[in-house]
Amino acid sequence: MARVVVDVMPKPDILDPQGKAVTGALARLGFSGVSVRQGKRFELELEGELTDGRLADVRKAAETLLANTVIETFAVRVEQPATEPGEQSATEPVEQPAPEPGEQSATEPVEQPATEPGEQSATEPVEQPPGKSAGTGADEPGETA
Amino acid sequence: MAPKIGVVTFPGSLDDHDALRAVRLSGAEPVSLWHADGSLDGVDAVILPGGFSYGDYLRCGAISRFAPVMTEIVHAAEAGMPVLGVCNGFQILCEAHLLPGALIRNDVQTFVCKDQDLRVESVDTTWTSAFGTDQLINIVIKHGEGGFVADEETLRRLEGEGRVVFRYVNGNPNGSFHDIAGICNERGNVVGLMPHPEHNVDPLTGPTTDGRPFFTSVLNFLSARV
Repeated sequence: MARVVVDVMPKPDILDPQGKAVTGALARLGFSGVSVRQGKRFELELEGELTDGRLADVRKAAETLLANTVIETFAVRVEQPATEPGEQSATEPVEQPAPEPGEQSATEPVEQPATEPGEQSATEPVEQPPGKSAGTGADEPGETA
Repeated sequence: MAPKIGVVTFPGSLDDHDALRAVRLSGAEPVSLWHADGSLDGVDAVILPGGFSYGDYLRCGAISRFAPVMTEIVHAAEAGMPVLGVCNGFQILCEAHLLPGALIRNDVQTFVCKDQDLRVESVDTTWTSAFGTDQLINIVIKHGEGGFVADEETLRRLEGEGRVVFRYVNGNPNGSFHDIAGICNERGNVVGLMPHPEHNVDPLTGPTTDGRPFFTSVLNFLSARV
């Protein structure tokens, strides 16, 4: 059983009233300096082996139904490549196929860690990167889950 | 024999009965169509009514667009059959790519329900020929996701080809680009709009009867053809 994730986001030039409402609510709660765009995440469980053909089918499905490409973009990624227990990935799902298994790294991938990723970050999940280093985020959103 | 106008009922359609009634008042024969049927029962025109088909799951109209009846409607529309999409029906037509663009959540972030002033921008469609050019009308709107958006190129084409059929006047209620309330396809047989003409056909239940010319238009077209 493979798991493939399809992320759907409103295109940057399309107004996102939901994201705007969430942004406003966060500001009222004290989470300042945060701007939110809201999208959708689809988790597709695929039976059997994940071949290039199956992955192409998922892209087709995303383009046909999951996203409206007039107003949305989508990204397809393999979260759990294969059925077999695998060699060490087991516990943590690999969110992005690209980054090497490395040294036991982050539980949560950070899409854009900060202005400077720096070199010492590696092991930390860095859930709220801008907060501490930048010092601009006056209020601490809290700890990692 | 009066022309037959079909109204599709999807799970979650709300205004199918009002649309059927408006068809009857206009003098045409109303025909109820079911979303799961693969047949149009020999109708001469189709209305996709307002409502929340499939609960608006995923996106408004995204799932309805693949209902069996839609396959027939897409074929018929491409062959020239008059198709009118009202509100949720407009959203379905966009999702089905019978009309360009898309409808997103109102920029005001609320559901909007009001009598709305409109200007008829094109009388060169199957559904608007009975209006006067630039006629000002008032028809009810009631929607949460009526913001019409499209890329620049599409907007340019719609404007250039006279395919903006209705525009909001005296205030844009939902953030639609270019104040667009309704558009048509190249041929002018497929029209989609957010306002609800089927609610404005009877003085008893609406402040105007500005919805009537929609039905007069299509009847004129169908009578001329037969």
